[in-house]
This record gives sequence, structure tokens and C-alpha cells, in this order.
Amino acid sequence: MIPELGLILLIISTVSSLLLAVIPLVALHTKNHYLFSYVKTLTGLMTFTITASILCLLISFITDDFSVAYVANHSNTQLALLYKVAAVWGSHEGSMLFWVVAIAIWGCIIVFSSKYRDRLFIGRLIAILAAVIAGFNLFMLFTSNPFARLLPNFPIEGRDLNPILQDIGLIFHPPLLFLGYVGLTVTFAAAIAGLLGGKLTRTHASYLRPWALLAWVFLTGGNAFGSWWAYNELGWGGWWFWDPVENASFIPWLVATALLHSVVLSHRRDSFKVTTLLLCLLAFSLSLLGTFLVRSGIVQSVHAFASDPTRGMSILFLLGVFVCGALTLFALKANQIKSELNFTLVSRDSVILLGNIVLVVAAISVLLGTFYPLLFELLDIGTLSVGAPYFNSIFIPLTFIAVLLMGVAPLISWRREKFSALRPLTILFIISLAIAEALSMLTGSGFNIWLFLGTTSATWLLLCLSYLLFRLRHQGIESLARKSAMIIAHLGVAISIIGATSVSNFEQQELLRMGPAQGKVVAGYTFVYEDTVKVDAKSYTAIQANIRVTDADDIFIGYITPQRQTFKTNAMEVSKAGIMRNIFRDLYVSSGLQLSDTEYLIRISYKPLACWIWLGGLLMMLGGTIAALTGLYRLREQKRDSSNSSLLAATMGGVA
Amino acid sequence: MRALILILMISLSASVMASAPGKNSYTQDQIRDLGFEISHELRCPMSINQNLFDSQAPIANELKAQIFLMLDQGESKQAIIEFLVQRYGEKIKYQPSFSAATAILWFGPLFLLLAIIATAAVLIREQHKHQRTNGNSYE
Repeated sequence: MIPELGLILLIISTVSSLLLAVIPLVALHTKNHYLFSYVKTLTGLMTFTITASILCLLISFITDDFSVAYVANHSNTQLALLYKVAAVWGSHEGSMLFWVVAIAIWGCIIVFSSKYRDRLFIGRLIAILAAVIAGFNLFMLFTSNPFARLLPNFPIEGRDLNPILQDIGLIFHPPLLFLGYVGLTVTFAAAIAGLLGGKLTRTHASYLRPWALLAWVFLTGGNAFGSWWAYNELGWGGWWFWDPVENASFIPWLVATALLHSVVLSHRRDSFKVTTLLLCLLAFSLSLLGTFLVRSGIVQSVHAFASDPTRGMSILFLLGVFVCGALTLFALKANQIKSELNFTLVSRDSVILLGNIVLVVAAISVLLGTFYPLLFELLDIGTLSVGAPYFNSIFIPLTFIAVLLMGVAPLISWRREKFSALRPLTILFIISLAIAEALSMLTGSGFNIWLFLGTTSATWLLLCLSYLLFRLRHQGIESLARKSAMIIAHLGVAISIIGATSVSNFEQQELLRMGPAQGKVVAGYTFVYEDTVKVDAKSYTAIQANIRVTDADDIFIGYITPQRQTFKTNAMEVSKAGIMRNIFRDLYVSSGLQLSDTEYLIRISYKPLACWIWLGGLLMMLGGTIAALTGLYRLREQKRDSSNSSLLAATMGGVA
Repeated sequence: MRALILILMISLSASVMASAPGKNSYTQDQIRDLGFEISHELRCPMSINQNLFDSQAPIANELKAQIFLMLDQGESKQAIIEFLVQRYGEKIKYQPSFSAATAILWFGPLFLLLAIIATAAVLIREQHKHQRTNGNSYE
């Protein structure tokens, strides 16, 4: 009963989204405000029904209704309640539903908020969002219905969520990423709304700015949590592997980063509107392409948990429709959107523009590397792999350039800057080169270009931020507060670079055979294998190694307990690493193959400053959140300030 | 380290190795670091998109043992990678070698960067010229 109710609600929301995709546009075209007044009603109906629909799926999970195929395949009676809830978005059908629900709710908040006074723009925006929702709802109804029944022979106990996914990471990582994609969908809809209206005013840019920032914050969180989760759970000790699935979420992040800086230009300087619009389209297209990549299973990945070739075609079809439609509209309308360019080569405008170009090139390069093996096979030239060594050699230099620009941008003024203003920057750059060189010498292992680029960029960014703070010291708390979001986010980038550089260059590791009473010294820490114990948890049994760790002064600092877990429901084996962390280093031990009765293949790593990678991610999210909230607050203030003279009817008559 | 090599050697399929005269003699630490470095840059032929170092598949362990064995014999990093490429094909390398077919991969990003910057510069210059002749405003 409940699943059928869910399906009916899904169908109702599909119908209302189809109506909502058409009605505002027709109403604007025929200047019919009576028709336009249905926008709120339809948005409410669509959002209510789709939200109720996902609640039906949730109820099916909680009540263990295994006659629903999706529930049966991803839950069982033994699963903890928290994971039953998380399983709603744990696989393909549910995650699609979750995604659509999030778009509907975000759209609904925009439509019902009185902050956004340009109702025509919002009307067009919700029409586009509704079209996207309708597309994905139809996709779900025809190819991946989450409420499909499994009758009459359904499994009484259910099956299981992929054991790797039974982790706190699953509760945060996918929803954050989906919310990021949802944000990009909203910016996409805003861009189309701007193109349909033939303009992108500063008001529109002021709407777009917090949305792009929020999308970026969610994407940052999604990527950071994903990397954190892989580091802790997958037992391979890496934090970034340039795997196609990682790239699929990283590429939109890079474009979203360019987008949010471009929106700043459009908002503050009323310029680069076409660039902003193009980046909105690009970010959304790339996020769909990423979904296609992950869901179709056309690439080999360690993290693809919901791939199926038949779905690939449907996503590719939706991608084709949205991207071709959007690009055609862009080609037709972009020349109507005029912005005034008013800056010289040495100005903040041009530095931000260059930075955005570098980010987009980085995104396209990652895309190229991800698709290259596929192209190779399609063209039948042979097979090859494109992996971490390639991506690092392309990405690190691009990051270096981006960071150089990042340091400069806040220190020079908009419009035009005197050449003499670059003098202190040159001095700062020479200092950071010297510090990097000194660090390189101290490590004494010869010149290493990656280490050099990493340390130079991190010191440069830190020096530039300190110099900025120094210059702001007389300007009062207000200007500091205004810049705080940017400073925190950029500091986050510096922190992440320090962590990544340190782990990549100074990691010390050993791979060895270990059994009870054997020991090994790594980076001054002594690891003694004490014993092997069997652990029996609710959903798995595990063989756990108890490894005693003492530091250089022979002081006991704790036990590390890596496990080999075997899941009860499907006998799948996973390796769970043991990690002992503090702010300066992670000690990482994972246990592998059994080599003899008592001995295992043990991997011990000392990873200096490992957690700085994610600490930086958190700072970026914090900075982004502050900026987004400030933007929303300003919109509310503007609404309060301006009078209520411009009614909907007046604007409709005037503009349409 | 030797213990690992020995135990893995047992499972190593008896293959005739190209025994070049050992040119290098590494210390144990160098062998460890080089071995890790090489196994990070090669793809496990069995498991899905994992490098040899991280992979727990039996073949990955055999190949790791092979790498350490060859390092013990004083082979260079390049010789080892070439040997494995001969055996398992180009796909085993995560860093594709440069050829006509991979030229786009290697030079694409640089070309793209320069092309976009050049296009942007031309567009901006044109717009500036346009603005100057049109009285500097579009609003």
C-alpha cells in the first residue's frame, strides 16, 4: 500500500512538474498574470508530492517491506536504523529520487521567499527547474522505479547494503555531493532564465551568488568527505586516486570554483556576464556527465556502487537534451547580453579572469584524462591507462599558477592598479621561493619539482594572506569582516596544499610480514604486533591485529587495530585500516593477506600532516558558508530598504 | 623486506627472467623506496582500477615480488617497467608514454590554456575598441 502511494505521488509530482515547466513561460509570453499566479501553487504541489513520495520509500525501509525490490536489495532485518535511513539514497533509484526531491525543495524555497523581487526571472527559473525534475521523474518512472515490487517471491530477510557503504561516510558523502549537484542545477536554471530574458543584471547576479556559493560548499564537502571516507574505509591508504568516479565529482567542483569567482565579477563589477552564464551551463553539464560516467559503468572504478549500462543511455539522453537545448539557447541569446569591460591588464578583474581560465582548463584536462582510455578503446587504437602520475603532472602546475593568482587577486585593486603596487608582491614571491628552497635543502634528497611547487605555493599564499591582514589593520573591523569569508576559504586552500604536499613527499611506509611478537620501527615509532583476536560485531566478524605503538622516547601511545572484516550476509571481505591520528601526523596500519598460520602482510605508514588535507576542506566550506549567508542577508536587507512600489503586474507589463 | 620477497617467491610462477647484467647495486632502503614508487605507478591487472601497491589481488603480490626481485638483481626502474609492459601491455602503466596517439593528452591542456587566454585577450581588446568608439557605455 505505502509503495503504491509513493508511486502515485511520484506520478502526481511528474504531472505537476510538466505543467510547471510550461505554464510560467506561456504566462510570460501571453502576459497573462492570472496564469502566472499558478506558479506558487504548482511549485508547492510538486514539492509536497515528491517529498511525500520519498517519505513513502523511507517508511518502506523502516518497516522492512522487502516486497519492494529497492528495499530488498539494499536493506535487511539486521541493519541498524541509521543505515536503513541512509540506504534510501544508497543506490541508484533512491539517489535519483533524493536528488529530485532536493531540487524541488530548493526551488520551492526560492519561489516562496520574498527576497527575490524579480518575479519574472524566478518564474522562468522554476520553469527550467521543473523541466529538469520532469525529465528525471520520467527517467525514474520508465527505467528505474524505486517502488517496483518484487512479488510473489520476495526475500524474507532482505539482502544487504554493500558492506563498504555501511559507514558514517555514507550518511554524509553522497547527500552532500547530490546537494552540490542540485545547487549547480539551480544555477543552471538561473542561467537559462537569464538567457530567456536576454539579460543578467546585477540583481540576478546577487541572487546567483549565494546559490553558486552554496553549491560549491556542498561540492567541497562531498569531495572532502568522499576522500576522507576512502582514506578510512577502502583500506588502500590513499586519499586521492584520480579514479574516474572521483574525477566525476572533482570536475564540477573545479568549474563551480571558477563560477563563484565569475559571479563575483558579475555582481561587483557588472561584467563577464556571458562567462558567468557559460560557466553555469558548463558546471551543470559536467555534473550530469559525471553522473553518466558513474552510473553507466562505462569506466572502471573502485568506487562505482550503482552502475548499470542500461541506465547509461537514459542519462546520456537527458544530458543530450539539456545540454544541446541550453547551448542552442546560449548561441542564440548570448550576444544580447552586454557587459561593460572596464579594466586594464594589471587589475583584480584580469587576475580573477585568468584564475577562472586556469580552473576551467584544469577541469577540462581532468576530463580529457578520464575519457582518454575510453576514446582509445572506441577508436580501436589499443588500450591504455591514465592515472595518478599523469594527472599529478598536469594538475600540480595548473594549481601552482592558480595559487599564484589567488595570492595576487585580493592585494590589488579593481579596474586598474599601478605597476608599483606589484613591488611588494615580487618581494613576497622571492621570500616564498627562498623558503621553499630552504625546505628542499633541509630534506636533503635532491631537488624535487613537486615538493618545490607545493611548498612555494603554500608559503606564497600564506604570505599574501598575512600581508592582506597587515594592510587591513587600520581599516576597522568591518572591512575585515567583509573579507573574512575569502580569507578563511583561501587559508583552507593553503592548509590543504600543505597537507597534500607533506603526505605525498614525506610519507614513510613499510610493507612487511608480521605476526605476534614481531616489531618494526617506522619514522621513529615502534610498532609491535601483540596478538590477533577475533571480533564479532552485529553485521560482520573480523580478524583484528592488536598493534602496540611506542614513540621515539619509548613512551606507550596506544594500540592500532586494523581489521579484516567478513560480512555475515554476503561473506564479502573488506580491510579496515587502523589509524591513530593527531594534528601533526597519522599512523596508518592496514592488514592484508594471511601469509602463514600466524603472520599477515602488514602495511605501516607514517603520514605527516595528513589531516590538514581535510582540515583545509572544512575551512573552505566555512568560508563559503559565511559568504553565502552574507549574500542572502544582504538580499533581505535590500528587500527591506526598497519600497514595495514595483508590483508583479507593473514589472510584467514593463518587461514582457 | 627479504621475508616478504621469499614468501612471495614461492607463489611466483616459474618464469624465465631476462637476466641482464646488474648495473646498479641498491641499498635495502633504496630498493624499498624504488619498489614502492614503481608499484604505485603500475596498474593491477586483476582488480578494478587499483595500483599494484594498493591491490590485494594475488597477481599484484606476485608482481610486487617480481619488482623487488628485479631490483635486487640491480635492474633500473625503466627496465622493470618495460619488462612488465611487455608482459601485460601498455595498459599496466598509469602514466601513458608519449606517442602520436597520446600527444593530445600531453599537450592538450597547455594548448587549451594558451588558446583560451588568447581568445579572451582578443575578445576583450575588441570590446575595449568598441566601447571607445561607442562612447564607453552599453547600459
